[in-house]
Amino acid sequence: MRFLMLHRIDETATFEPADDPGVPGSAAARAMDAWVREMEGTGVKKYGGHLRPTGEAVTVRVRGGEVLVSDGPFAETKEQIAGFDLLECAGRDAAIEVAARHPTARIGTFELRPLVRS
Amino acid sequence: MKYMLLICVGEDVQLTPEEGAEMERATLAWVDEMEGRGVRLQGAPLQPVSDATTVRVRQDEVLISDGPFAETKEQIGGFDILDCTDLDQAIEVAAKHPVARIGTIEVRPFWVDEDGN
Repeated sequence: MRFLMLHRIDETATFEPADDPGVPGSAAARAMDAWVREMEGTGVKKYGGHLRPTGEAVTVRVRGGEVLVSDGPFAETKEQIAGFDLLECAGRDAAIEVAARHPTARIGTFELRPLVRS
Repeated sequence: MKYMLLICVGEDVQLTPEEGAEMERATLAWVDEMEGRGVRLQGAPLQPVSDATTVRVRQDEVLISDGPFAETKEQIGGFDILDCTDLDQAIEVAAKHPVARIGTIEVRPFWVDEDGN
């Protein structure tokens, strides 16, 4: 089964300095690298990306043939999508296990969404 | 530059079977056109948010709940990964997606590292 794992993070949330995967060479950075290597190596992680902040988001609608463009994300929620991974897992439990081992699970929320055609 | 399109539709949007079939046909035509232009790399429709699971880890405890993270009127129904020359092209591609007529498409640029990946 394929899942889209959406990384939801309060954009003001930060890791404890000792726990920050953004610090090069730190144990937290090595833990993040290890997650990516393991999940790519076992074929679980198919694709992924880190998105720029919602301050750079643009929303697009078309109404009555007119293209309406506005700045900001579609929803004004406290947690916003910061990244995503496309996973290939045996099922929901396997996807939960993969999500729970990602370091960002400690400060954010992962939303797992099965794809329509897996 | 890479962009993610989050395809969002209100839960109150109801399409007739004919409208649903037309939306699917138009979406497949959009996919064919954008893959032909080389701007669409990946994408898929998602199952409804009633099938969503959220996962958090706090103090080493795994917390699992059903449903989406946010109770918003519009929810994400699919996504597309684009490779465009700039934001204007990404907006042009988003505006041509059939769901833009009934929902909202959020366009988000990717972070780019020193290697350009």
